[in-house]
Amino acid sequence: MNFLVMAWRYLKFRWLVSLLTVLGISIGVALVCAVLALRHESERALSRDAGLYDLVAGGKGSPLQLVLSSVYHLDSPTGNLPYKVYERLRRDSRVLWAAPVGLGDNYSGYRIVGTEKHFFELPKRNGDPFFQFSKGKAFDDRFEVVLGSQVAESSKLNIGDTFFGTHGLVEVPGAEVHRDFPYRVSGILSPTGTAQDRAIFGTLKSVWEIHETEDLLHSAIQGSAIMAKDKTKETTAILIRLKTPGLRLWMADEIREGTDGIASVPINEIMRFQQGIIGPVQQILLAVAGAVVGVSCLTVLITLHQAAERRRRDIAILRSLGAFPREVATLVFSEGVLLTAAGILLGLLIGHGGLALAVGPFREATGLLLDAWQFPRSELLAVLTMAGCGAIASLFPAISCYKNTPIQDLQLSE
Amino acid sequence: MIRLSKVSLHLGKSDQAASVQFELPHFEAKAGELVALTGPSVCGKSTLLNLISGLRRSEEGEVVVSGVNLKNLTPAELDRHRGANCGMIFQTFHLLAPFTATENVAVGLRFGARNHKNPNQMAVEVLNRVGLGDRLDACPDQLSVGQRQRVAIARAIAGDAPILLADEPTGSLDPQTGWEIFTLLKEIAEEDNRTLLLVTHDPAMAENMPKSFDCSELVGPAKNTLVEEVSAS
Repeated sequence: MNFLVMAWRYLKFRWLVSLLTVLGISIGVALVCAVLALRHESERALSRDAGLYDLVAGGKGSPLQLVLSSVYHLDSPTGNLPYKVYERLRRDSRVLWAAPVGLGDNYSGYRIVGTEKHFFELPKRNGDPFFQFSKGKAFDDRFEVVLGSQVAESSKLNIGDTFFGTHGLVEVPGAEVHRDFPYRVSGILSPTGTAQDRAIFGTLKSVWEIHETEDLLHSAIQGSAIMAKDKTKETTAILIRLKTPGLRLWMADEIREGTDGIASVPINEIMRFQQGIIGPVQQILLAVAGAVVGVSCLTVLITLHQAAERRRRDIAILRSLGAFPREVATLVFSEGVLLTAAGILLGLLIGHGGLALAVGPFREATGLLLDAWQFPRSELLAVLTMAGCGAIASLFPAISCYKNTPIQDLQLSE
Repeated sequence: MIRLSKVSLHLGKSDQAASVQFELPHFEAKAGELVALTGPSVCGKSTLLNLISGLRRSEEGEVVVSGVNLKNLTPAELDRHRGANCGMIFQTFHLLAPFTATENVAVGLRFGARNHKNPNQMAVEVLNRVGLGDRLDACPDQLSVGQRQRVAIARAIAGDAPILLADEPTGSLDPQTGWEIFTLLKEIAEEDNRTLLLVTHDPAMAENMPKSFDCSELVGPAKNTLVEEVSAS
């Protein structure tokens, strides 16, 4: 029977105290791990979206709002830009890819994004196509739509199915349903792990047609008549990829000066958002989690100290049998290490298990796909620190056992 | 085998006025000898055993066990001496509650100088010898007091220690069980030619031991206290 087995038997013998101590440690560890993993994963997921585009142009307003509304499909748009701005940018030799974004309607809370067919040609940074079709193809007709993977999954819509859009960017009871303009599904995208999974992509022309028709006639009329009114054509935002990302700020200035709108660099806005808003909240959560871990380590110390006190007689018996002080100290230390290790493992399981349970609702709410079982370096560091704290907490009773004279403890019981 | 001469040490608290003095002019036990240590309570019988096992150190005099003067040993060497030479049996058994009978014996072989290669096998052998072959997997709280003391005896003899130090091993037992335990201990010591020092209050047991040592006069007031009292008067 080695030290660890002996330590385990002692822990099992007083299972309730051991269990409560392990739970105390695990809650602290779970909190720290969940906060760190969530921070890492949300940063990764947010950057994954923001990194797709070098610039976003839109109407005057908050640059962050522009990014959130056009890239993450979260906030309200800032305003519109003339469509000709998009046409000019598309022709610009410095632009690798650009696509308009026209917003206005939703289906079951999922935004219908008016754009153009080449939107699906968006390249990844390595040149591979970002979008893949799991079913069907891109739209050809102006009332055909492509569903993001999450939309298809939750709506159960399939190729050829039709549905009606509802006015507004969010689902509101009683909102106007555009019953004269049925959309037909032409394709379904493969999951991307970005906010695009929870969007429906149709033609910008359909967005124009529905709203101009609704505005002017409140009835279904032919779109060609509206198309003729080029001067009324607008787009909510323009997503841009440059041939040289280093030109981002220069191009942004150009867009600001040459139009009535603004242009923002998504990755910069998101970084600012994380540092300014998400960061402090996470710091507070981390501080709370750190305090919980501190209390847990203190619990280990108290538990082991009490256990060692209760076991002074047992330790003395072992010494009377010839056990060396370092052996009994190792035994007590092993108990602390086992408690800490069990607490950390359980904490990791609770933390990441909880995160795994939150992946679905989080994706539903934001479209961002978290990998619950990723272990960022910061988390490994935190776990090592906590293990170190547990080891130090285990050292105190071990040292006490090392120093105790067995004769006193043998006499205590007589 | 065991020789103590002109041994003295303070007992009790460090406060001199409250402490008593242990004085032993001479004690000797040869290898394989069976000695009963008798005397009233708190007369120094257990202290004598603790001096031999190295759990206590003498302040003056010599404690020589198996040819080694314990006074010259470091604490680690004393631990080694205890593990190698002494098997201890206590009045209250001192078994480890979370472990089975086999494990209690095996644990004693696992530590220190004993560090037996196959402690479990040895534990089963000695438990069979003390008549507990059918209670190998029982924990202390599942054993009768007599059985617990048998486990303690098994633990003491498992390490092949040449000296058995039994501190009132029958003190917590009913007379019949006590006598059985006494007989068992005596038989084992005789069969193995081990030295047995047995603390007992039972005159019958003392009479049944080949040799007896009266410890009545070992403990008295501390010398410093007497000096202080004389000065004060």
